[in-house]
Formats: sequence, structure tokens, C-alpha cells
Amino acid sequence: MRAFAIYIKGVFALLSFALALEVQTANAAEVVELPPEELARESVTPIFDKNESVKNRVIVTEGSWDVGVFGGLAMTEPIFNVSKAGLQVYYHVSESHAFGLLLAKNSNGISSNGQLLQKDQTIDFSRAPQADLQAFLDYNLKMFYGKMSVTKWVNFNTILMTTASVGTIKYTHKMYPAFAVGLANKFYVTPAWAFRFDLRLIANNAPVPFVKQKMRETDPVPEYSEFPERMHYSTNLEFGISYLF
Amino acid sequence: MRKEKFFRLLKILPLLFCLLTVDSALAQQKRKARPLGSGGGGNSAALRQQLSQALQLAKNSEFESAASALFLLSRRPELQGERAQIKYVLGLMLMEMKLNQVAAFQFVDVIRLKDERYTRLAIEKLSLVADTLGDDTLLNYSISKVDINTFPANNRDMLYFRLGEAKSKAGDFKGAIESFARVPLGSSYFNQALFAKGLAELEANDPDTASRTFRALVSARARAPVTDTNKVAGQLAYARALYQKQDWDAAIEAYANIPRDHVLWHDALFEQSWAMMRGARFRSALSNFQSLHSTYYEDFYIPESLLLRSIVYLYICKYDEMNKVLTQFEKVYGPVSGKVNEFIKTQNDPQAYFAEVEKGAKVKRTGEKENSNLRLPYIVMRFILGKGDVKRSLAYLKRVNDEKSRVDKNGDLRSTTVGQYALKVLNNRIKNTRVAIGDMSKAHLLNMRVELRDLYEQAGLIRYEMINGQKESIRKKISEKNLPENQIDDKVDRRFYVNNGYEYYPFRGEYWLDEIGNFHYLGRQSCE
Repeated sequence: MRAFAIYIKGVFALLSFALALEVQTANAAEVVELPPEELARESVTPIFDKNESVKNRVIVTEGSWDVGVFGGLAMTEPIFNVSKAGLQVYYHVSESHAFGLLLAKNSNGISSNGQLLQKDQTIDFSRAPQADLQAFLDYNLKMFYGKMSVTKWVNFNTILMTTASVGTIKYTHKMYPAFAVGLANKFYVTPAWAFRFDLRLIANNAPVPFVKQKMRETDPVPEYSEFPERMHYSTNLEFGISYLF
Repeated sequence: MRKEKFFRLLKILPLLFCLLTVDSALAQQKRKARPLGSGGGGNSAALRQQLSQALQLAKNSEFESAASALFLLSRRPELQGERAQIKYVLGLMLMEMKLNQVAAFQFVDVIRLKDERYTRLAIEKLSLVADTLGDDTLLNYSISKVDINTFPANNRDMLYFRLGEAKSKAGDFKGAIESFARVPLGSSYFNQALFAKGLAELEANDPDTASRTFRALVSARARAPVTDTNKVAGQLAYARALYQKQDWDAAIEAYANIPRDHVLWHDALFEQSWAMMRGARFRSALSNFQSLHSTYYEDFYIPESLLLRSIVYLYICKYDEMNKVLTQFEKVYGPVSGKVNEFIKTQNDPQAYFAEVEKGAKVKRTGEKENSNLRLPYIVMRFILGKGDVKRSLAYLKRVNDEKSRVDKNGDLRSTTVGQYALKVLNNRIKNTRVAIGDMSKAHLLNMRVELRDLYEQAGLIRYEMINGQKESIRKKISEKNLPENQIDDKVDRRFYVNNGYEYYPFRGEYWLDEIGNFHYLGRQSCE
């Protein structure tokens, strides 16, 4: 302590001396070369009583709500329009768990592939029931919190999650229970706004859009109940924007 | 195998020697007693018979039974002549039962009895048990009585090391250096002795020799892992020796060699900042402070570092930053100072201080500060828990507690007189050690109070300089001499870092474990 006090007195003496001589020390345009031995290349981390990977998080989700809108594509859908749009609301129970509600509206109509089939084979797919609305209760397990830097001045935080959902898909004539699992990643451009990407595998019982001898334009129109049902799997890619509050 | 047998033989040699001596003494006394042939002799003969049986039990390695019998016999006035022998053998039995503290009491009794035949042996054994226990009081007692020349050669390394420690503590650094130097290579005390020798050399103001000693320690541990504590302690001490030599650049480099994944790295980071400041590497020092003043260090008691940071800001005329740092110092250490003061004023009982240490140790172990009922801030308790004397005493207390639980768990032993005696001794030691730790903590708190008071005065002085600087700066601004707001590394592209395998992230207020120690201050200096 005494040494510290003496040192401080020395510092002030030096400062006064420098001031007396009116030393010009500044050069604001100076470029500082960071010594290479001081630059980060370590692969080990310091030891603390309790080693937490991050402190003072920029993105604090615990006890918060987030709402968002999203659009998506059913990547494996061969006949009907693949796009959809929806809303999502989540409550973050902790930094690891969140529960939410997803509502989505599928676009109507036939996809370009379906239209080709329709043209070549004169099959009228509009006779088949198609997915119209989706509602899911979604659970998110937030596995990794991290950050990315792509320019010298910009970085953003990311959260990688696994998702598990249970809900329903409403077809033209009937509602079917559905399950989904997937992976999601959020990229926070600000502490509140984030882009969200979801890759979801949805499994549900669904009508097969073919009924023998009733799909051509000249055939009699089938009842919806005539369409056979089977388990249907579809891979969905969703992109959205969300706001945390 | 042969070596193992040899050591086993060495271990039981004192016991055999003692038993032979006791046997021959009993035979002599029997011969002397025979002509008397009185009724009183009958009682004495029965006791001697019991002693002989107890010794036989000892020979047969029935330690508990032997200890129990010997303890009873050690209290018989009829066996006054054999008391030193009985107590010595009892001590050996207790050592075998891993009741080192209780054994130590027997050896102390033997030394006090001043029986020439057993004093030297008892001192040797006392030194060994005291060393195992880490009991400084007993060690000093035994060392003060010991004669090195008659001490068994295989344990002399320990004695030289402990002697060195005692001399160092007494301020006899030359004597300490000589003692430490006599601990041979290959001894389990060698690394510690080399380290302590270097410290004594530093205390004797000979940093050149000390730095050579520490380098020798590092070389001796060359094959050990990077995070080997002896090796890292040697590296850190080497850096400190260079600092003492005022060789700032070499000290900075030496501090940088401390591995990040070792607990001593935190000390190295702080001390390196001092060296950087003394070496006029202000930007580097501020880089270190960014780590040291991150939330990862919120439980570290490092008030000096905040003042040091403010001085560096003063050097580069960053008065706003200075103000923030000084405010931070007052915000953190103001309440600390208040609570320490209040506790010292209201508490006199060492047990109250010990209770805080215990609670602090629990928080350190579990990481749960809530519901800890700590009356002193955890930052204070963590600092006290890191102090050498408190650490050593807590380790000793743990050994005594372990010894007590060994007795408690052994129902047969607990019900015997020697078991009851052991519990009494151990309870007493536990109580006294708790009081001693309480006293040590109080002494550290008193020092902390003085230190904080002193640092507050320094903070006032620094604030005064800050206001002066601000005044000067405003005066210059009025004269329109202010500087452009460029960053000093504006011209360096991020690709430079990425292409060379370094990492670069702009700081956004959050701290990542893998970034601690990698922060860089990129601000400009504002002096004109």
C-alpha cells in the first residue's frame, strides 16, 4: 500500500513535470499496431470459481415474450401451393426453454409441378382437399447462445434451438392432428429484433390427392370423404422476423 | 519390491527398537523387583504383565487394542518409570491408526518428560505428524527442539524445508536460503524449497539470484504439464523477480507465459497491467483492465486495479472514462468499506468471524450467494479465504475434522477410554483452530479497513487531478484546439486479423469466457 501511495505521488510529479514542459504527445491520426503476441489465439479459457460461458448477455430472454411473423415453404409438397405465412407468439420461461403458439395460413392453389401434371394428364387437383390452416403449440429448447461477427464493426447474437410441436392442420374438409420436430436459429440484429429460420419436419394424417377415375375433368367429382388418408411427412423451411419484449 | 521391503522395515524399525527397549527394561525391573517379593510387588507385576501384553498386541499390529491398553497404562503412577516409553509406543499406535493429532500430543508429552532415550525419537515423530497435519505450532515446537545431526537422514529434507520456512518467517533470509538449498533434488519438498528459496532471495533484495532460482524451478518441471502448479508458480515468481528488477518488458513477457487455464493467471493479468503501466504501454494496460473489470471479476477484491486504470486514463487525458472508473470504485468499495467497518465494530468474538469464513467457503463451493446469510460482502470473504494463513488453517481444520469423524465412525474405538480421550483432544483442537481462523480473519479485515481508507484518499487525489485536467481541456476547447474523433486503428482492416488466424469481434457489452484476456483497447488518447 505504501508503495502504491508513493507511486501515485510519483505519477503526479511526472504529470506536473510534463505539463510544465508543455509536452505535445498527441497525434489522433496515429495508427496503433496491436502487438501480435497480444492478439487472441488461445484455445483455453480462464478458470473461475464458477465457469459461465457468457456474462452480461446482450440478449436476455428469460421472462420475456416474443412475437413474430413468418413465411414458409413446404419443400416436399408436390401438388399444391408450397407457400404459407403465419404469426408466432412465444413466452420464454428461462434462457433454455420457451413455449409458443404458431398460426399459419397456407396459400391456395396448385404448385407449378401440379399444374404441369394437370396440363399433361388433364388431372384436376382442385377436386382434392388441401391444407388450409395450421395451429401448433411449439416448445423450444435453446441449446446454444452465441455471436457472429461478419464485419469489423458489426456482430450479432444467435440462438440455436431444437423445436417440438403438437397441433392441428385444417384441410378443406377436415382437421387432422399433427406433430413436428425441427431446428431453428435466431439472429438478433438488435437486442429486440431477430431473424428466425426454422427447419421443421411435420407429420400428420392427410388425404391422398388421388381417387381412381374421379380426377380427370371428364370424371364425376368425388366427395372429399372418398379420398384415402395416410401418414404424410413434409419438410418445411420457414423464415421470419420477431420482436422480443 | 526389495526397495519396498526396505522402506517397510525402516518404518517399523523405531517400533521394534522401542519394544525391545521396553522389554529389556521390564526384564531389568523384574530382576530388581524379585528380591522385594512384597504384596505391593504383586500389583506392579500384574501391571507389567499387562504392559507386556499391550506390547505384544503392538507387535502383532493390533493397533486399536494396543493403543487402548497403553493409554490406560500410561496413567498408572506405578509405571512412572516407563511412561515415556509407553507414551511413545502409544503415539506410534495412534499414527498407525491415522490419528496424527492425538499422536502428536503423546510425542509432546514424551518430550516434556525429558527421558533421554525417547526425546529424540519423539521429536522426529512429532515433526513428521506435524508436517502431515500442517500444524505450524507443533512444527515450530518440534523444530525448536530438534538436532539435525541426529535426525534420520531420510527425513532431513523435510526438516531443512521447515527450518527454512521458520527462518524466513523470522526474517533470517540468509539462513533460510541456506536451509532451502540443502533440500536435495528428488525430495518431495524440492520444488517447494526451490520456490521458497527464490522468495527468500527476493526478500533479501537479490532479484537476479531469485530469477535464476525460479528459472531453475521451471526447468526442473520442464516435463510436467503446462498447468502444473509448481511450474506455473515458478513462472509467476520469475515474472515478479523481473518486475522487482524493474525490467518491465521482460516482466510483461514473463507474465504473458502464464497459462490462461490456471488459477494464478488472474494474478498474472493484474500484475502484468502494473508492468505495462510502468513500461508506458498504456493501451496494453487498458486492454487488460477491460478483462479485469468485467463481470467475471465481480467477486474479486481488486480495488487497486480500478485506481490504476484511472491513472492510466489520466495519462492519456481520458477524463470522462476516469470519472466512470472512480465512480465505479466508490460504488463497489464504498459499501464494502462500510460493511467491514460495521462488522469490526459490532463483533469481537472470533467465532463470529469464523462463522463468516465458513459461510463464505460454502458460497465459494456451491456458487449460491442467495440465502447464504453472509453479513460481510462475498467479495471480502473470498479475498480472506484466499489468504495463505487462512487457507492453511482451514486445511488443518479439515484434517482434524476428518480425524474426528474416523473416531466417530469407529464404534469400538469411540467407546474406549482412548477413544473418548481422542474425541476430547480433537474437539478442543477444532475449537481452538476455529478461534485462530476467526482471529486471522479479523486481522485481515482490519488490514482491509486500513487499505480501503488509504485507497479512498488516493482516489480523492486522483479525482482532484481529473478535475484539473478537465479544466485544462475545457480551456483548450474554448480555444478550439480539440482533436478529431478518429479511432486509432481505423486504418487496420478486419481481414488483417482473420487472415492471420486471430479473432476479431467488436465489443457490445457482453463478456465471453473465451474472450477474457483478449480484449483490446482501441481508444485514442486525448492529450494535446
